[in-house]
Parts: sequence; C-alpha cells; structure tokens
Amino acid sequence: MNLSLLIVMILASLVTLGRVWVTILFSIVSGWFLAYASIKNRIFENIYVSLIEVFESVPVFSFFPVVLLFFVFDIGGSLGVELAVLFLVFTAVTWNIWMGQYQAFKTVPQDLLEVSENYRLKFWGKLSKVYIPYSIPRIAANLIPSFADAMFYITVSEVFAVGVHTYQVFGIGTIIANLVASGDYLDAIIGVIIIGIFTTIITLLLREFSRYAVDRYGLDTEIVVRKRGRIHFGYTTRLTSALSYVTRLSKVFPTPAILSKSVEEEEEKEHKYLWKISGILVGSLLLALILYGAITTILSVPLSTWKYLISTIPEDLVAIGVDYLRVAVISIVSLAFAIFVGYYLATHERAEKIVIPIIQAYAALPAPAYFPLLFLVTISFVSKIFGLFTNEVYVLFLGFISTFYYVFYSYWMGVKNLPHQYWEIMKNYNLSFWQKMRYVILPGTFPYIIAGLSSTINSAWGGLAIAEYWPNIIQNYNLEVHTGLMKIIDVATANGNITLASWISVFFGIIVIIYSIFFTRKLMDLARKKYIAEEGIYLA
Amino acid sequence: MGKKITKPTPKIALIHQSIATFPWMTALENVKLGLKYRKLPKEEEDKIARKMLEIVGLSGFENFYPKQLSGGMRQRVAIARALAAEPIVLLMDEPFSHLDELTAEGLRQEIYQMIFSPETNLRAAVLVSHNLNEVVELADRVYVLNGSPATVVDVIKIEMERPRDPRDPQFAKYLDELYKSLTPIRKKLNNEGKL
Repeated sequence: MNLSLLIVMILASLVTLGRVWVTILFSIVSGWFLAYASIKNRIFENIYVSLIEVFESVPVFSFFPVVLLFFVFDIGGSLGVELAVLFLVFTAVTWNIWMGQYQAFKTVPQDLLEVSENYRLKFWGKLSKVYIPYSIPRIAANLIPSFADAMFYITVSEVFAVGVHTYQVFGIGTIIANLVASGDYLDAIIGVIIIGIFTTIITLLLREFSRYAVDRYGLDTEIVVRKRGRIHFGYTTRLTSALSYVTRLSKVFPTPAILSKSVEEEEEKEHKYLWKISGILVGSLLLALILYGAITTILSVPLSTWKYLISTIPEDLVAIGVDYLRVAVISIVSLAFAIFVGYYLATHERAEKIVIPIIQAYAALPAPAYFPLLFLVTISFVSKIFGLFTNEVYVLFLGFISTFYYVFYSYWMGVKNLPHQYWEIMKNYNLSFWQKMRYVILPGTFPYIIAGLSSTINSAWGGLAIAEYWPNIIQNYNLEVHTGLMKIIDVATANGNITLASWISVFFGIIVIIYSIFFTRKLMDLARKKYIAEEGIYLA
Repeated sequence: MGKKITKPTPKIALIHQSIATFPWMTALENVKLGLKYRKLPKEEEDKIARKMLEIVGLSGFENFYPKQLSGGMRQRVAIARALAAEPIVLLMDEPFSHLDELTAEGLRQEIYQMIFSPETNLRAAVLVSHNLNEVVELADRVYVLNGSPATVVDVIKIEMERPRDPRDPQFAKYLDELYKSLTPIRKKLNNEGKL
C-alpha cells in the first residue's frame, strides 16, 4: 500500500466523521430549542412528540428512495448527493437525541424551575442555566448509540446507485466500497482498520464524556438518577415513561409555583400567549407541509400507476410477512444473547470492565464496511454447512451484528439498575439461576427489555434493507434473498423505479406505525404500569 | 445450627430498612418467593404463604399488589416473606425507619408476637435501631455500638416483663443507661487531624 492512499483514507475517515458530527451537533442544538418550545406549548408538544415517535419507529434506510427523489433529482448536483447523505445520517441520529432532550426538559425538577423563576431568568438564562445543563447527561448517554447508528448508515449511503447512475461522495465508505469492488482486499482491510481505530477512540471518549456528564451535571437525588438511567434507553414510545413517578404526581397536585402566582402574572400570561400562538403556528405549518407533500404526490401519480401499485399489495404483504419472520429471528437471538451475556457481565465486574467497552466499540464499527470482507473469508465454509440457506444466514447475521447492541445494552443497564435489595433477597433465599430470571431479573428489567428490543427491531429493518439485496457484494457474488420487502425496495431503487420504491416505503411505514401503536406501546404501557423495579423499594 | 456460615442462607433471613417488595407480584406471590428454595408442591407453597400472611395480619390482602398497600403493610409482606423461609434467625435493619411514627408504633407492638408466634421456628432476631424507645421495648439484650470505626462499647440486658410500658420507671432507667453509653459520641481523629 502506498502512503498517499493511507493519507487519503485518513482524510476520508475524517470527512466521514465530520459529516456524522455535523449532523449530531445540528441535532443537539436544534433539539434544545424544539424541546423548549414543546414544554412551553402543549399543541406543539403533541405534534412534535408524535412526529418523533413516528419517524423513529420507521426504519430510515427504507425511506432512502424517497429522500433520493427529493435531494438528487430536485436539488441535484454534488450538493444534492451530499445533502442526501447528510439527511440520511440525520434521520439515523436525531430522534433519540431529540427525545432525550425533550424528556430531560420535561423532567427538570420543580425546585430548580422555581429558583430560576425566583431570580427572574429570561429565555436564555433559563435555557443556559437550567435546561441545557440538565439535559447534558441524557444527551451524553444517547451519543454512543447515535454515533454507532450514524456510522452504520453513512458507510453505506456514501455510495448508492439509482438505475444506471451511481452517486457517491468522498468518504471512507466510498473508498472501502471502491477498493472491494476492484479486488484490493488488503487495502480495504486497512481502510476498515483505520475507521475502526477512529470509532473505537471516539466511542471510548464518549464513554468518558458520559461519565463526566453524570458527575458534573447529574443530580444527587437517588430516585432522579435512577429514573434517568431507565429512560434514556427507550428509543421508541417513550413519551410518558419520561415522566417520573414524582413528576406525574406533581402534575396532579398543585405545586407552590402554581399556587403562588406572582405579581408578574400578567407579563407571564402575555408570554404564554405568545408561546401558544407560535406553537400553534409552527405545529400547523408542519402538518400543512406534510399534507401538502402527500397530496401533491398523490395527484402527480397517474391513475394507471396507482392501479399498478395497488396490484402489488398481495405480493408486498407476503414479502413483509417473510421480513417480519427474519426480524423475529434476529430479535430473539439478540434477546437471548442480551439476557445471558448481559446478566453474566452485570454480575462479574472484571469481565464487565473489559467486555462492555469492546462491545461498545464493536457496535460503533460500521458493519457494512467490513461485511463484504467477512463474507469473502467465510463464504466457502458457511455455504458448505447451510447450502441453500447460505444467503439467508448472512442476511440474518448482518441483521444481528447491526442491531443486537440495543437490546443488549438496555438490558445490561436494567440489570445494573436493579435495586441492591433485590440482589440481597435473591441471595438470601438461595434462588437458582432460573428462579432469579423468572421472578426478579426479567420482570425487573422488563421496561428496559421492551425499550431496547423495540430499537433492535427498528434497526433490524435497516440491516435487512442492506443485506437482502447486495449485488456484487464481493468477487461478483450477489447476496440476495428470494422474498423480502426490503429486497423489493432495493431492486426497485436499483432499477430506477422510484415510484414503486416510494410506494412500498410508505406502505411499509404505515404497517410499522400500526405495529408500533398496537404492540410496542401496549407492552411499554404494561411495563410502566407494573414492572418498575424502583417502585418496589419503599422510601417514605 | 452449629454450622459455620459461609454465605447467605434462608435460615438467616434479612428484613431491609428500605422496604423491598416486588411490584409485579401480589402480596401472596411476594411471600412465596421465600419458599422457592424449598421446592414444595404448589398447594403446599400456597398454604404456607397464606398462613404467613395471616400471622402478620394481612389475611384478605393476598391478591393486592404492593402499590395498593401502605408502607406498614408492605413491611409486613416483607416480614411474612422472611418468615416463610423458616429462618432460625431474623436480621432486621432498622425495619421501621421508613414508616411514619404511628404505623411504626403499631407494628412494634405486634412484632414480638408476630415473629415469635408458636407457628414459626424463629429462635432469635437481631434488630439494628437508632430509636432507643424501640430498643428498650423490643430487646432482651442490647449491644451498643459507638465510635468510628464502630465497636461494641456496652452490652445491656433488659429484664422487663412484656408488654413493656414506656411509662414504667424501669423503662426510663434502661433508656438512661443506653443514653449514657452512647454519649459522648466517641470519635477518633484521623491522620489529618480531622474528625
């Protein structure tokens, strides 16, 4: 390998990381303002939180064709391609950061707010002295999975093909893909190692930052800190879990702040009125934009195309059924891995200290970058064992490595957060491993499992979107499944049939949202109602 | 009995200061947890758990979840769970400190009959407390801990008939004795000369 390629790879890694951090920073800064707006205005809050919930429950990668349609064809040029990539990364990192900030703002202790009122802090004062510092630990904790997610998606989105056109931007993902395509495997491996080193360093720094953030900005109150541990792991349907028991209670009972309205009531009222008006305006504008987009799209598609699209529904339903089966397999394997390995690590401090950082760094290492190489090394062996199912195994494996982390990490946090009294009781009553699992650990970590599992399920779709149709993955080998909704989208995009790709994306989006409302939310509600371990400890 | 203790055992059951029950289990299921190690048939388990709830005065509350019970009732559930394990010794770490005074008072009155009822195998209870009235009311023998690091500075035997009346002069005498051995609070200076 020559030195210039090495330098180009380092530069490309920096450009890729630059894209990731630009979007993360943009998400954080915009999230503060949006969170502030949503706690000040209920209408805006309802629209904002519902939208986040919808967007985060829809796997972004499946929407790539729609994004391309706009950026590549409407804006065009290299700017359009660059923006398409940035937007894709943005959709991968933003929702959990925004949700975390919103939850943090929503759960700022009443006492701190009263002090800020007392000293008559204005908008900037409150934001910079109270809300932003309070949201830092939550953001810090969300940065690790967000960064991992962003790295995963950016390495595949730097190069993409629509019909006969291939679009690419300069970055390590592009370089590795090109090296693999031209058979320079050794150089490609070096590329993976370079980005691996960068991601490992950044992940370890983020861990330190997270620790520092909790030390510096965390509250001392036991309950609040514990609640924070719990909630920042819900990436889906986390709205009311954000409200700690205390906060929920405080909403029922009038607090001193509400009872003792000051002489500035009038001024305050005016202020609130302003927030209300602007909230309604912004909220309505958002809804109008979405409606406008939907209506113009529907009108612009000729009737014959609609007929064709609707005729694909039976086939689509079969494909989505098969994909749900794949997602189920990936989720069950991930859950089993999480439950046993997570428990082992949470109860063996020495192993935990070594293994957790390794898993975190590994999760941040973008699977799509090294997967073709892994494929090349293992294909002859795997195909001997699995025969006709070889491709299926690889698809499930890519799904697993790109997504197991969420449920694993969430569950591990849940086990760590179990009240110490529970551990003492389990020891005291000589419970066997299975008894511990059945009576204490699984129920006690149920909210964490649901939150982590829903993230795992969402990300599994992203993994499938990449793996179900990967033409020429390496050495002219095509990784391809027989049936799958993600494959239909991929093939349609590759053939330039953007209409079909968009239609299936929307169709899929609707199914995912229905699933989220009827399944994930129900489970989350059950978890909140019954399985909050901290509530089992009575502190008068 | 007569064996060396090397790890936690159900024969020595612990009652926590911060009352620990499992919110996803009913009162009855919480109590059954203390029986799991005995691997009994389901009916037997159920029978013992109901009996234990009866001993702690919670008959009729078997199917209530901890959230539906008061702090005092939750602590009774925890006590029933501990008793279900058939312990010989009960370790109680300030078991009333998270209860309001009225509830704590009520529970204190009953605790002796409850835990030393003829239906339990219990031989002794070790109770940690900062409440001297509670100590004189309940204990036969008091080990007074003082100083830093804490050491046993006194052992006081309380020889009074039960139920003990706080207005009894004898009761006040024991209280005085306890206060005396606890004051002044003995502190050692550390290396930097700080307390």
